[in-house]
Formats: sequence, C-alpha cells, structure tokens
Amino acid sequence: VTYKWLSYTLGVHVNQAKQMLYDYVERKRRENSGAQLHVTYLLAGNLLQNGHVCHKVAVVREDKLEAMKSKLATIASVHVYSIQKALLKDSSPLYNTDYDIVKTNLQHCSKFSAIRCAAAVPRTPPDAARAPAPARSPPRHRDPDAAVNGHGPPAAKGPPQQHRGIMGMFAAKAAAKPQDTHKEAKAEAKEAPGVSAASSKPPTKNNIMNNFFGKAAMNKLKVSSVPEQPKEEKEVVKPSVAGAEPESSPNTAAEKPGKKTEPARTQQKDKKSKTKRADRSDDEEERDPENVKKKRKRIKQLQSDSSDEEDVPPSPTPEEERAPSPPPVPALKTELEPASTEGSAAGRKRKRKRVLKSKMFIDEEEGCMGKTG
Amino acid sequence: MFSEQAAPTAQGLLAPPSAEPPTFPRVPVSGYSDCSQPFQLGERSFSRQYAHIYAVRLAGMRPGLEQRARSQWGNDIALRKLSELQAGEKCCVVGTLFKAMQLQPSILQEISEEHNLVPQPPLPKYIQPSDELILEDELQRIKLEGAIDVQKLVTGTILAVYGSEQDDGRFLVEDHCFTGLLPPLPWTGPSSDRFVLLASGLGLGSVSGEALLGTQLLVDMVTGQLGAEGEQSCAAHITRVILAGNLLSQNTQSRDTINKAKYLTKKTQAASVEAVKMLDEILLQLCTSVPVDVMPGEFDPTNYTLPQQPLHRCMLPLASAFATLRLVTNPYQANLDGVRFLGTSGQNISDIFKYSSMDDYLEILEWTLLAGHISPTAPDTLGCYPFYKSDPFILTECPHVYFCGNAPHFQSKLLQGKEGQRVLLVTVPDFSATQTACLVNLRDLTCQPITFSGFGADSED
Repeated sequence: VTYKWLSYTLGVHVNQAKQMLYDYVERKRRENSGAQLHVTYLLAGNLLQNGHVCHKVAVVREDKLEAMKSKLATIASVHVYSIQKALLKDSSPLYNTDYDIVKTNLQHCSKFSAIRCAAAVPRTPPDAARAPAPARSPPRHRDPDAAVNGHGPPAAKGPPQQHRGIMGMFAAKAAAKPQDTHKEAKAEAKEAPGVSAASSKPPTKNNIMNNFFGKAAMNKLKVSSVPEQPKEEKEVVKPSVAGAEPESSPNTAAEKPGKKTEPARTQQKDKKSKTKRADRSDDEEERDPENVKKKRKRIKQLQSDSSDEEDVPPSPTPEEERAPSPPPVPALKTELEPASTEGSAAGRKRKRKRVLKSKMFIDEEEGCMGKTG
Repeated sequence: MFSEQAAPTAQGLLAPPSAEPPTFPRVPVSGYSDCSQPFQLGERSFSRQYAHIYAVRLAGMRPGLEQRARSQWGNDIALRKLSELQAGEKCCVVGTLFKAMQLQPSILQEISEEHNLVPQPPLPKYIQPSDELILEDELQRIKLEGAIDVQKLVTGTILAVYGSEQDDGRFLVEDHCFTGLLPPLPWTGPSSDRFVLLASGLGLGSVSGEALLGTQLLVDMVTGQLGAEGEQSCAAHITRVILAGNLLSQNTQSRDTINKAKYLTKKTQAASVEAVKMLDEILLQLCTSVPVDVMPGEFDPTNYTLPQQPLHRCMLPLASAFATLRLVTNPYQANLDGVRFLGTSGQNISDIFKYSSMDDYLEILEWTLLAGHISPTAPDTLGCYPFYKSDPFILTECPHVYFCGNAPHFQSKLLQGKEGQRVLLVTVPDFSATQTACLVNLRDLTCQPITFSGFGADSED
C-alpha cells in the first residue's frame, strides 16, 4: 500500500494519505499486535557529492532510514512511502502499484496532489483534432471493502469489473461472462492503453450485454456496430478502440439503443474500412457458424407456421428492439426489418425467404404425402 | 536552495492526519516565448548540395570574426583571402576548418567492401596523431601548422588564424581566435525563486525497468505528490520542465523490420509503440501540473537530421489535450521568464566528442559557445538539413542558459564573459543511467542536480 494508492483509493489529499499511513503504523506498533509491518520511507535532502550540493530523493527501507539520514546534510522531507506485510527485496512492487493505480485514474492524476496548476486546462479541440471528452465520470473508487482489505490492485480490479458488468439483470449469465470480458478488457487495455480506463469500461459493459444477447443469437455478426455503439455513447471518436473491439468481440450483436447521428456520420469512413477488415478477418471463422445458423433458422421457421415467417424467431427479438444501423455483414440479416438501410441486405433477405418458402412448400407437400423426416 | 526552505517542516508528515492539508498553486508562467523558429523547417527539399551551408556559414560569421581579429591582434592587421596570400607576409585569414582524419568513417570506404575489405567498426573517438588541419575559404584551401591544436579542433569551425604563408605552401599559424562570446542579452530575470527542471534520456521502452521508479519519483516530485509540505511548496515554484531528448531508449530502435523478412515481422509491433504509450502517460501526469517542453532526441521518432522537428501531436493523444504540453524542436531556444534558454539533446556535443580530443562534455559545450556555432560538425559527420539561405546554428545571441542533454554526468558552470555576460552551462545527464535531473534556479542562474533512487536487493549507497 503506497501513499499514492491510498490517496486515489480513498479520494484524499496525498499529504493526508501519508499521515494516515504514519498514524496506522504508529497505532499498530503501539498495540504490538504481532503482525510485522514493513515500512518504507521517502527521504529527501541535500548531499555533498562530487563537490557540489546534490539534492537526493530516495525511497528507503525502515532499517536503512537512519543510515541515510545521517548521510544527508540537511533533510528536506521525510514521510511514509508505503506499508507492506512482507519485506520487499526491491522497489519494483512499489512502482507497479503506483503504475496501476495511476493508469486507472489517468484523467485525474493531479486531483489529489499538493500543487494545482491553473494553466493545465484541456485544450478546446479544433475540428480536426480529437480530444478526450472533458466530462468523464470521476474515477470510480474501489469498493471500500476491497480497498481496506489491502488486496493489490489487480485483485481489486477483478471484482469491480464484474460489478460494473453485471447490470443487475444479467447476474447469472454474466457469471460466465466476466472471464471473457475480463480478458476482453485486458485485451482492450493492451491494445488501446492510450484510452483511459474510464472509457474502456463502458465498452466492457456493452460487450457484456452484447455477449449475453450474442450467445443466444450467437452468430449475429455486427462487428462494426459494436464499436459504433460504445463510441456513440461516449461521443468520442477513438478509432484505435474501434480497431480493437471488432477483434475482441466477434460474436457480439449490437444492441445499443439511441444512435447519435453526428458521431455516426464522422465514423462513416471508419466504419466502412473496419467492416471490410472485420469481414475479411471474420469471414473464415463465421462460415461454419453461419451454416449452422442457417440450418437452425430454417428448422425453426419450418416448425413455425408458414404464416409465421414474419414472426421473427425469439432469439433475435432483442435486436429488433434496437434500431440497427451499420452496413450488413452477409450472414446476418434475415431478422432485420426493411428498416435496414442497405437495399442489398433486403435483397438478400428476400432471396433467403424465397428459398425457405419453397423448401417449406416441398416439405409441406412431403408432409402431405407422408413423413419423410 | 530547494532544501533549506523545506527543512523546517521536514518531519511534518510523520504525524496523525491533520486538518485539510494545504494545496499550493503552481507559480504561473509570466513570460514565455518560443524563439526556435529558425529551427523549424517548413517544406523541405533535399535536392541541394551541402556546400551551400559552408558558404553561408562563412559569410555569416566572417564579419564577426574579422572584428574579433582586429580587436585581438590590432586594428592594422591585414585581412586576406587565401587567394591574396603572399609568402612571408603576416596576415589574418578567416576560413572554415577541415580536419583530414584517417579514421573518419567514409562512404567510399563502405563502398570498398566490394573489395572484401572489412568495414570500419564504430569507434568512440576517431582522432589520430596523423590528422591534419586545412583551412578553406570560398575559393582555396591551405594546410595549417603551427600553434594550433590539431587534435582539439573539428571540421566545420569558422575561425581566424594569424600567421604567414611558408614557402612550401603551408600556413604557419601564430595565433587563432574564434568568435567568442557575443554581447550579452539584457537580463530581465525573475526576482523570486523560479525553477526549471531539465531532464533528458528518460529512456522509456528499455528492457530494464530500474529507471522507471526513478522516473515515477521525478514525476511525483514535480507534480507535488512527493515530499513533505515544505518540499511541495518548493516544487510549486518549478515553472517548467524541459525534457531534452532521448525519451525512448536505444532498444526501441529495433531494426528487425529491415533485416527480417516481411512475413516474420507482420504481426509484431515496433518496440517504440509501447514506449510512446508509456511516454504519453508520463507526460499526461506531468502536463496536468506543469508546463512541459518536449525535445526530440537521437532515438525519438522524428527525423534524424538536425534540426530535429518536434514530435507529432498524434503520438501523444492524452497529453496533447493539455495546453501545457509543448512539442519543440531540437535545438531549442526560448525565453522563459526573461531568461534565454538554448539547448540541444546532445547529438552535437557527442559528435564533437568523437572527433576531438576534448573529453569533457562541459568543456565541449563551452567551446561551442566560444566558437559561436552550435554544431560545427553538422553536415560533415552529423546529419543536417541542406540549408542554403542561412545557417540557423550560428549563435546570434548569447543565451543565459546553455544546456545539452544526454551527457554522461551532470556538470554545470557559470561562465563569466568580459562584457558582463553570464552563461550557465549545464550538461544534463542521461536519466535512465544516472537517475539525475537538473534544477535551474532562474533568479541567480544556479543549478542543482536531483537524484532519485529506490532500493534494490543490495541497497548500498
């Protein structure tokens, strides 16, 4: 637990965090509770070196603190840097802790620091430039329970992501999902670390929802629309994220309501290029599932009355509720009402319907004649 | 300077939580103007020969040198061009120096690989006792000998030599001089303590991660998270951070894509991509708290030739959103709070180091200042843009702070000139190796190194 981690987690000024750590150490030591706490301090001061006065800032272990203090001519500051249960061999865990916590709070890294800079305001973006949306939701503080337990940030990350992903409704399904989404989130984080974690979480959320529906309507490929919807939600154009998401969530269906036309317009170009990429890369994978799906669909439709053709099979129902937007990928679109923009999709759909009709006709005939199976 | 102010409240944070801790506002930037326009190239055309630079350089520095020569050796000395030389006459000639070095890497030698000769390996220094100095002006050249230090000087320097031509066609030098320090700029520095942090050689993307904690400590200190209250209030006086080059480490310069076949390298990213992302995060942390100037260096993703153009904004999406980030050229010149800064990322100094007997980076830095030119070896051994109208590396004004990045260690010196110039020379050490940055106090032109350290398995000091 470093002071910075504590400060971000509890939302306090860094100096207060340092004092809290010190207080904690003192209290524990006074209680003599037996649990050995190892403390590292930050020591800063002047040192005479090579003939000139050098300012030295060092993280030292408690046992070396006095030795370092004696080396310094004047001490500028001393405070608790971190507390841990185990004796640290070197300072890399400290660095990792800080790195992780700062990464998840990149947009607000100066919020708890002791210096405020009036000049550090985000630039108003010109039309061509792309700037992160200034009004991001503040960093979600970890659940206090998770924090106080002193689990390292990686462990703390797991549950919060699950919490966020589970949006109440999908508790059961999402139990299976977090692994995927966790992996996805990790993949996204790796592929687009430039995007702050706050922004990667809404897509994670959407992906989980999409996954839920996606499993039921498994092979509905709306690869391009997945990046669209989260992006539109955020009103931020992040082509890198869009690039990452098609690869990471091939089996999701786009279910986001509420299109935003403006970002959609600006993303036309991106969309088209990405669907092409997505199509190319995913085509091979999806051939088989598509066939399977086709078979499934036909069976389903055969089982239902011929008049039920218009009646969309249950799985894609949720899709229908959301207005579909993007250009179609060939396999998908029987469920899409003619509300879909491309005429080719409608044409394909009609063709398929024709095929199905004829088959059904034949089957019906066969049924009349006798069961053929 | 830093520490004395901070000392009283040093132990203040070893206490139970107190009331609302103070936050210090960052000292606002009062005067900043970027003077590095000469180093910014507009549209570039490489269809010109490099000879024009030398011509322009000589033409640009000749008047100053002639003036210096007169002041040094008397008003009545004869200033001659090489074509007007007469044997035995004492005169002064102004020209460009050329050092004929045997070990100098030459493209012709590389071509001679066809003859199965071993190509020359890179050496730390290319000087040899058999090197010779030749003075050239617009039309002729002549060999120099005499009271001139052959080992110390490098190609491309403009100087004035005083002597006479011998019968065998060589010029016997009795004395020589450079442009020297230029007249001082008026001093309008701040009256209170203002600091500028100089750091270079962050070396992100390297395989070893030891420097990362140091980098994080540096960022923490500047943004005010580290240290007790006294130190934090001192850190609030840091008005600017200048990162002088080599933000990425040499390891990111992987040449795999050139050597390996395309199908092997298809899915691999260049190592610099990760490093740039790390850099973006670090810069974001800094930019939210302090104005930052980022200069490119030898291993940074920008052009190789001097003057290096600023890194492109699209590589740093997070940090570029802030107005406090400034991406600037290498070399860089700016007026900060009335103090003129001039500096490079170190390529010019290290190049001179290779071709001269001078070993000390600070000495070389001082020498370039006296020679009146930032990088005399520029087209010869250091990549340079073929200027033809004017040579922007000629020093036209005397800076107050002259720095170079990526030096092996920290050194600083306050140079006092005859006409009252005060120049602070700083060699900024390589942070990834030394974990040291420099803090320059603008009020009195002093410099203090700051070292950061964590502890390792064998923490000794």
